[in-house]
Amino acid sequence: MSSSKRITKELSDMGRDPPTSCSAGPVGDDLYHWQASIMGPPDSPYAGGVFFLSIHFPTDYPFKPPKISFTTKIYHPNINANGNICLDILKDQWSPALTLSKVLLSICSLLTDANPDDPLVPEIAHIYKTDRPKYEATAREWTKKYAV
Amino acid sequence: MEINGNTLILIVLILYLFFSSPGGNGVSSKYEYNQIEKLKDHLSSEYQTFQKMSFRDNFRNITGLKLSYQDIITNPSINATYPIAGKDYDNWIHNQTYELLPDEIIQKISTKVWNVSDNNLTNFYPPNITSTLMGQINLVSNNEYSQLRMPVPRYFEPATDFAQDDPPEGDSYFTDWPNYGELHNVTFQKGELSIQITHINKVSDTISGYGKKFFNSQDENWKLLRLRIEFFDKLESEKHTMNPIAIYDIRRGRILSMSQSSKFHSLFSLPHYMSVGGGLDKGDDETIFNETKALINDYWNGSNYIDTLTMGDLDTLYDNALSKCEYTVFLQLAPWNQFDKDQMKKIDEELNWPLGRPVNLTKLPPVSIQSGLLYSPDCGVELQFNDASGVRYELKVKTIRSHILLGLLLFAGQIYLLLCQMQHTNTPSSINKISFYSFSMINLVDGSLATLYLIASSVLPELYLPLILSSFSSFILASIFETRYLISIYTSQANERGVSIITLLRGNAENNDEERVTNADIPDDASIGASLYGRFFFSLIIFTFLILSSTSWPRKIRMTFEYICIIILNSYWVPQIFRNVIKGLAPRRERRRNNSPINRRQHQTPLLWKFIIGTTIIRTVPIVYVFTYSSNIFRHHRDPRFVVFLSLWLLFQLSIMYSQDILGARWFLPQHSIPEGYIYFKPVSLAHLAKHEGASKHTADCAICMSEVPVYIEEAEETHNIDQHSYMVTPCDHIFHTDCLENWMGYKLQCPVCRTPLPPI
Repeated sequence: MSSSKRITKELSDMGRDPPTSCSAGPVGDDLYHWQASIMGPPDSPYAGGVFFLSIHFPTDYPFKPPKISFTTKIYHPNINANGNICLDILKDQWSPALTLSKVLLSICSLLTDANPDDPLVPEIAHIYKTDRPKYEATAREWTKKYAV
Repeated sequence: MEINGNTLILIVLILYLFFSSPGGNGVSSKYEYNQIEKLKDHLSSEYQTFQKMSFRDNFRNITGLKLSYQDIITNPSINATYPIAGKDYDNWIHNQTYELLPDEIIQKISTKVWNVSDNNLTNFYPPNITSTLMGQINLVSNNEYSQLRMPVPRYFEPATDFAQDDPPEGDSYFTDWPNYGELHNVTFQKGELSIQITHINKVSDTISGYGKKFFNSQDENWKLLRLRIEFFDKLESEKHTMNPIAIYDIRRGRILSMSQSSKFHSLFSLPHYMSVGGGLDKGDDETIFNETKALINDYWNGSNYIDTLTMGDLDTLYDNALSKCEYTVFLQLAPWNQFDKDQMKKIDEELNWPLGRPVNLTKLPPVSIQSGLLYSPDCGVELQFNDASGVRYELKVKTIRSHILLGLLLFAGQIYLLLCQMQHTNTPSSINKISFYSFSMINLVDGSLATLYLIASSVLPELYLPLILSSFSSFILASIFETRYLISIYTSQANERGVSIITLLRGNAENNDEERVTNADIPDDASIGASLYGRFFFSLIIFTFLILSSTSWPRKIRMTFEYICIIILNSYWVPQIFRNVIKGLAPRRERRRNNSPINRRQHQTPLLWKFIIGTTIIRTVPIVYVFTYSSNIFRHHRDPRFVVFLSLWLLFQLSIMYSQDILGARWFLPQHSIPEGYIYFKPVSLAHLAKHEGASKHTADCAICMSEVPVYIEEAEETHNIDQHSYMVTPCDHIFHTDCLENWMGYKLQCPVCRTPLPPI
């Protein structure tokens, strides 16, 4: 199957040239189910935390985007309580030229710069826009509580 | 299921409707209860009168029979109130002084209709005459005879306000009503006649609760029939129907029937009129009267006539009284002297339970009425016909069954052809060339057939099994095979939604300034399936309702609708021709020339010729049968000109498709209107490759599978053995494997690397 070939390729690339502040690899023997971790970016309220994500590759990968969700609880306008991520390249802007490491980097930058105009959790987006210090404090608190 | 407030309200509402619905007799108010009680009392007292009556007695207080024709001649405005002063109630003779019929009509019955003077009863008539007879009917006169006044008891009238509890008393006469004459006349000279005959030989036994019971103690000589008589002019602008009870005299082949309504309780008059024709031995009149009276009594008691009356019956009686003329119908059956009693019994048994008894059923003549007369006492209309005939119902059912089985074969053939076709187009790029709309049209027809068969199976219990089987097979064909195929066609074309036809036709990306709406979200198979199934069932229901309601439209509109529908639904290759143009199939010779394996897949005809021709034939055969075979089972009129036209239209579509195959799909379009499409397969220059950092290895990287693509480079001799069809170069100069990019183009027409719109292949 071409999808497994491509996933293997991505895995070896990931080993050869690991992206900064993230890592990823398969869970057990299942090539289609990966786990990844992201270090909280230092210039963000998530600094110091390590966030785990679960990744499921569809069988028609890379024509369909991988399904990625946070397993660590995180306070973010674009990530909900179930860990679902609102990111355009994981949905309609997916392109087969994208790789998992590029997607993880995008998630990293999403942590630094949230997109409150297209929120998944409107309450957090509202606080983010109106009371930035309160948002940062809560995010730091959650990071301390769940991701350290 | 979680029950929230809304669901609860719905459930309560349904329960309320369920429990508050009227009981078995349909009575829903005090007024209606009183109405139906009144009707029961009325009929019971008339039945008592009927019981006391002998053949020598006149009718007394029976609705519709209180006046005779002579009464109306003597005093045209006489009221039918019992007793009428000076009327002779103690005698009964067959003439207009006592009967509803004028002497001329009585004369005609005895000379033209019931004229078989066969006192020894040597003629043989079949005891079972279930059939539908067709013939022509002529109007004799509609103004020659005086119209008998038949009042409607006023208790039949619906309540005028909610507080009303008691129905009004008295009678109302139609002359007081406006527009009476318009509804109650026959204005055409010649018309079509259809008489459907069914036997009433058993009644449902509601008292003992054990299904049906036979009631006829006079079975040897008399049969009770239910007729459905329809006569209408050719254009069906005027249609008269009635559903009366009839008595069939097996020994003489006579059938007497009288319509029933709230102004004419004819059930009690049948025994008297059974001997109208005369030509009988003295004393026979009385025997006939007594035997038929016993038959009526059997029916009355067996069916619990009074107890089973419902509001529905009351409404029907009242409606018939208001909207229709009452008719007395006299029919004379043609004898079947070639058979005798024993043979006939064998034939009947074989028809009921086919076991292969030694009888030749194909030789069975049609049931035929040699002469008939219809006279309406209250409208003064006289109609006459000769020779209406039709085959025995069981034989007809047999023919229909064999036709349905032939239809099943057609379904099987269609399924086989469709499977071949599905096998033929097993890749997304080949299925992409098939028109979604062609198959939608085919699918709609098969789906409607399935529902129509299903509806027919509930109407025709004798044909339940074959009809259900046909319904099931056409449903499988439509909803499993065809809809599955439609889903894959739709999925393979999903990337084209929102792309204009001109762009598709051009197939190149020159006009980039023209904002191209690429489909934002490619739905997956499941959601496409759901939406297509939804669409399929929605259009199916709409179409089926249209067909069903069209059967009640006036003939002219109905025929136009039918013809337009048939023409439209048989244009199923037109969308495919259009699709071929868009996808730009090359001429056959060109396709043959470059027949590398990939090329062949790229450029084969999207539809198998076997499938095209087979489908066309399978779909045309039934239409040809219905329109050319005059005694077809649907009783459809014959119109060979339409069939010729339809076949020419289909042949035209086929020839266009064939010419597209031979000459190329776009041969009939002027060259300059469609610029050559973009060609993805081309050699690459070293300079171009340098941009991709693969110049040294003569390869490029495919961003989709992340592996190397060997490419044909003009400057490098050693790469010239590489097939140019193994990779694709996009207009934005990115290089991918053919399989990879074709796969991705099934999702989106956009370059994976730089997101530039891509021209379709």
